Amino acid sequence: MDRPRRYENVDGTGEMAMGVMMLSFALVGYLSSVLPEGALWRKNGLATFEILPIIFIPIWAFQHWGVKAIKRHFTWPRTGYVAYRRGGKFWWKAAVVCFAGVVLGAGGVCLTVLARRFHAMSLERAVYLAILLAAYAFSVLRSGTEHAWKGLVVIFMALGLIAIALVVPGDAVQLFPPVALFLGLVWLGSGVATLYLYIRHTQPRAPEAE
Amino acid sequence: MNEQLRAISELDRVIHEPGRLMIVALLAVVKECDFLYLLHETEMSNGNLSTHLTRLEEAGYVEIEKTYRGKVPMTLLRLTRAGRAAFEDYRKALKAAFLTARSVP
Repeated sequence: MDRPRRYENVDGTGEMAMGVMMLSFALVGYLSSVLPEGALWRKNGLATFEILPIIFIPIWAFQHWGVKAIKRHFTWPRTGYVAYRRGGKFWWKAAVVCFAGVVLGAGGVCLTVLARRFHAMSLERAVYLAILLAAYAFSVLRSGTEHAWKGLVVIFMALGLIAIALVVPGDAVQLFPPVALFLGLVWLGSGVATLYLYIRHTQPRAPEAE
Repeated sequence: MNEQLRAISELDRVIHEPGRLMIVALLAVVKECDFLYLLHETEMSNGNLSTHLTRLEEAGYVEIEKTYRGKVPMTLLRLTRAGRAAFEDYRKALKAAFLTARSVP
């Protein structure tokens, strides 16, 4: 029974959160490119601890206020309130996700090192873009057949990523800010469209005797 | 008919009824939800859902809490420990019965 899980994104808040996250990454990438060479945040390239708040504060703020406001004003009065279980399985799954993240991160570093050694930058870029696209395609598949139009979003995303890869030169680090901006906007747009369709097709119920 | 197959007749009838099975299956995967969510997911009528919930509450499987969100009344529903155990037993019994039925020539 994964229906209650899918219900979590019935209003598009999951996609909007992903969009906000990607836009935060894009902002960090932009700041890294405009700040002077000797600035504190550029010492280790894109990711330093000093810039992590720029990524996490918008994500946290959106989750804390944005998602709650959408749920409270639109979702709960229309299709009901659900609190998810955070039992033993949740922490077990979280541990698996963290482990997978570490493995993917290590794989990414290895890929970058190998790509630089063998001058295979296009392969490196293609792998990164394929992973990002696969993440969205997976989330679309997981949401079931309720929103068939999201298949078109996947295609649009693939075309956009290919276009960015062809236009923007450089390695994966240089490619990341425009990719994050594009993906953030697409994810956010898809989430907003989902919310719009949800509001349009579901009416709030009048309080009745239960 | 062997003993295991006969176990079908001993399934928990409170849970076995399709309407209540839907409710318990939904509640089993969440911590709690409100009446409106169950109404939306099961597509039952208010009265029908209310009757099934009362039956489940009488059996000690569901906890019903009347509360408010702001000024709006809300009925919170959650599966009790006994309800969760009963659903797990039901699931195992049904699975065993199906496996047995498949192996019968």
